[in-house]
Amino acid sequence: MPIRKKLGRIIFSLLALLWLSGCWDQKEVEEQAYVIGIGIDKAEDQENRVKITYLISNPEAGATAQGGGSGEQPREIISFVADEFISSTNLANSVIAKQITYDLLRMIAVSEEFARDEQFIRWIYDATKAMEIKRDIKFLVTKEDTATFFQTNNPILETRPHEYFEKILNTGFNNGTIPKSELNQFFRITEADADLFLGIYSSSEKERRQQSGEDPHQITAGEFQFEGETNTTQFIGSAVFKEGQMIDSLTIEETRLAILLNPTLKPGFFLGTLPDPFDETYRIVIRVENNGPLKVDMKLKSGTPNIDVIVPLTIEVLSNHSMTDYPKDAEKRNKLKKSIQESLTKKIEDLIRKTQEEYKTEPFGWSLIARKKFSTLSEWENFDWMKTYPDMNTNVSVQIKLGKFGRQSDLPRIEEIRD
Amino acid sequence: MLNRLLRKTHRKKVKNEQSSNEKNTLKESDIDANLENTINLFKSLYSYSDNQDVILRTIHIPGINKNAAIFFINTITNPMSIEDYIVSPLLQNNDATKQVEDIITVQSMKTNTRISDIVTHINNGNTALFVDGEKHAYLIGSSNFEGRAVEKTQNENVVKGPKEAFNEKAATNISLIRKKIKSESLVVESLIISKRSRNDLYIVYEKDLVDDKLLQNVKNRVNSLDVDAVQNLSLLEQHIEERKYSIFPTVLYTERPDRAASFIEDGYIVLLMDNSPDSLVLPATFWSFFHTSEEHYLRFPYGNFTRLLRIMALFITLFTSSVYVAVVTYHSEMVPPDLLLAIAATREKVPFPAAVEVFLMEFAFELIREAGLRVPSPIGPTIGIVGALILGQAAVQANIVSPIVVIIVALGGLSSFAIGDISMNFTVRIGRLLLLFAASFMGLFGLTALFTMGIFYMVSIKSFGVPYLSPLTPFYASSGDKIFRKVLQKEILRPGYVKPKDIKKR
Repeated sequence: MPIRKKLGRIIFSLLALLWLSGCWDQKEVEEQAYVIGIGIDKAEDQENRVKITYLISNPEAGATAQGGGSGEQPREIISFVADEFISSTNLANSVIAKQITYDLLRMIAVSEEFARDEQFIRWIYDATKAMEIKRDIKFLVTKEDTATFFQTNNPILETRPHEYFEKILNTGFNNGTIPKSELNQFFRITEADADLFLGIYSSSEKERRQQSGEDPHQITAGEFQFEGETNTTQFIGSAVFKEGQMIDSLTIEETRLAILLNPTLKPGFFLGTLPDPFDETYRIVIRVENNGPLKVDMKLKSGTPNIDVIVPLTIEVLSNHSMTDYPKDAEKRNKLKKSIQESLTKKIEDLIRKTQEEYKTEPFGWSLIARKKFSTLSEWENFDWMKTYPDMNTNVSVQIKLGKFGRQSDLPRIEEIRD
Repeated sequence: MLNRLLRKTHRKKVKNEQSSNEKNTLKESDIDANLENTINLFKSLYSYSDNQDVILRTIHIPGINKNAAIFFINTITNPMSIEDYIVSPLLQNNDATKQVEDIITVQSMKTNTRISDIVTHINNGNTALFVDGEKHAYLIGSSNFEGRAVEKTQNENVVKGPKEAFNEKAATNISLIRKKIKSESLVVESLIISKRSRNDLYIVYEKDLVDDKLLQNVKNRVNSLDVDAVQNLSLLEQHIEERKYSIFPTVLYTERPDRAASFIEDGYIVLLMDNSPDSLVLPATFWSFFHTSEEHYLRFPYGNFTRLLRIMALFITLFTSSVYVAVVTYHSEMVPPDLLLAIAATREKVPFPAAVEVFLMEFAFELIREAGLRVPSPIGPTIGIVGALILGQAAVQANIVSPIVVIIVALGGLSSFAIGDISMNFTVRIGRLLLLFAASFMGLFGLTALFTMGIFYMVSIKSFGVPYLSPLTPFYASSGDKIFRKVLQKEILRPGYVKPKDIKKR
């Protein structure tokens, strides 16, 4: 046989192989139903089952392109009892026409009741098994059942559900009202067995009780009171997980401090309020920004373990209701600085004490630094961070650099106006 | 029966060949001193009475008192020069001491005895003068072939830089090159490369730059041709290239004399022929197809901006449609959610799978392109209307294709025009279809596999001994003119891969 003919046959058979065996995993985009969020609740009366909720995005909603577009709903929600959330796609397909896929999955929501359950960790680890689930998806805890959460949540301006969640979670993290909370972090911290994991805490129901205390930043999900024509869902504070089980929730302020004290996170800036040192009736607005990296010094080997934390901060004071002229008065500025320093240090110390006494470990990721002090893994394991942390000496010093006093630093003297 | 028929016709051919062989042996002999015999011989060679444009004029030269005959083909000669510089001086001669050479006042004249050479000269538009009693013919340059004047470039347009292009006359083309390289070391060798039509090929190079081995290689390849006729360079290209089935071109075809001249100045070899409004540059690398002359005429940042656009256009052309198909049908998790939902929304009512949809549009685009090229110019505008309106707008409105596919195919098609060279353009277009094919069967895996294979293949190709991707890989000393060019003052080396005798440009 001439070589060309032989070659032709080989090429043809290779091509035929393509025709006959190609197209593995081929899935057309329009033939799939994209799950944006999975909700997991406890199934009523059934110990080893869970209730799965799917939030499915409708691609056609809000599309202005030719060929698409219609008055269809932007989402579809389905809840049902299943064994876990991997095989549940098949069950859901008995109701939903398109093939269910997790390709666009953005978050996993868990009800607080289920998150506080000892068995919870057995189910959440299914997420590591599913091929399509990415590790950077958000992990959030809802105060009520996730089924209720998804159904009540009805954003008015962002039609597509993934857009709404992406935006609100991103702004929340930037403002420090919620932690970052990625699924990957959850698994890492749970497996390291030393720190606390902070998950996003959310609720779609307003609680009918008054805000606690004077500070509006001392609230968690469901406690923010607002009126108007808007969505009722709120993402506030964090859910604290110890060893893969939820134990408590943190307020906005605590969440912010936890982010500030965490050397692995790079926070942006937060706005907060503190009591005015010049007039007790008012509060000052401060804009807090990290000024250089956090310094965490640990002496773990000899005697009682000791942790020194230096938090360098740039503070901008953005309100001046007592109308004091501290921008021009060095003495008053010092007083202001001292007062801010004291109140921040006290807040941080309170939080650390809370973690030591109540939680017995910390959510600041300090164990990562502590690890480096040990030369072998077994030494570290013998040290047992969770056991030793509650008895450690912790010293926090906040180093403050005053920044600008708002866009315009001077205010008129109130005596002159009111004379 | 078919066989018998074939054999019959074949036998006839053989007979014809025998008669032409007789003529061939006749041509190898010398001419006779007897004018009458010579005239009769040439009359029979040229079928004098049947051939309308063959002219034979017998004259008597006074003074030296000899009979003579002038033989030429009047459609390819300049009648004025024959009249003024040959016929009248001969007729008006009264001086008995003068030789024929001295009577004729024309610039170029040779003498030759061999019939075959004389015939070649006559065929090239020269005039043969036979004088009674002399055993040689005078061959007087008087050729004047009809052709175009030097015109603007048609395909390789530039905004800044010379506008003149080669035309179908080799003499003009050589003159255009000589205008740019005024050096005695520029050599124009001529060869006859076909047996029956006797086509001339001009090999142009600079003798103190070109690598002798390369030159010998080219000459060997040209000399080994065994064909009756090679009308022009486009056909010659296919005769001399190494890989005739390859989709990559290995000989550069340019219509710009400035480009040819700058290649000669770098030690390349340029081929010219009559009837070809262009030149062939040997050897060619991938970069010579990728570059245009304008990038050196534009200032450094502007030229490189164009290069950046072109390399991006190259990849856009190759990959947009295939990546779209791969991602949409196999890897939807790679697409950002907003885009994926937008794609899914527009595809909702489209009846075809994404791959078929893209193939349809690609096919339609290639059709518009081909039709636009072949359509007679008075009905040209129709193509635009049909293409833009019916295929773009109506197909989307009828839900045959989704709008994003129109964008993708149009973007890929538009980008493909950035590759100006016609051969490389075909390479890229065919490559794009192959990649699309691979992507629709095996997704990004197939795409990557085919692209890798393509790169392997490109690295393995050689053009006249020069690796296709040099000087990028394998590395050679050169001016560094690859994807981007350097500042002119830093381009001090000639390309090392053509092995020039002098590698420094200064």
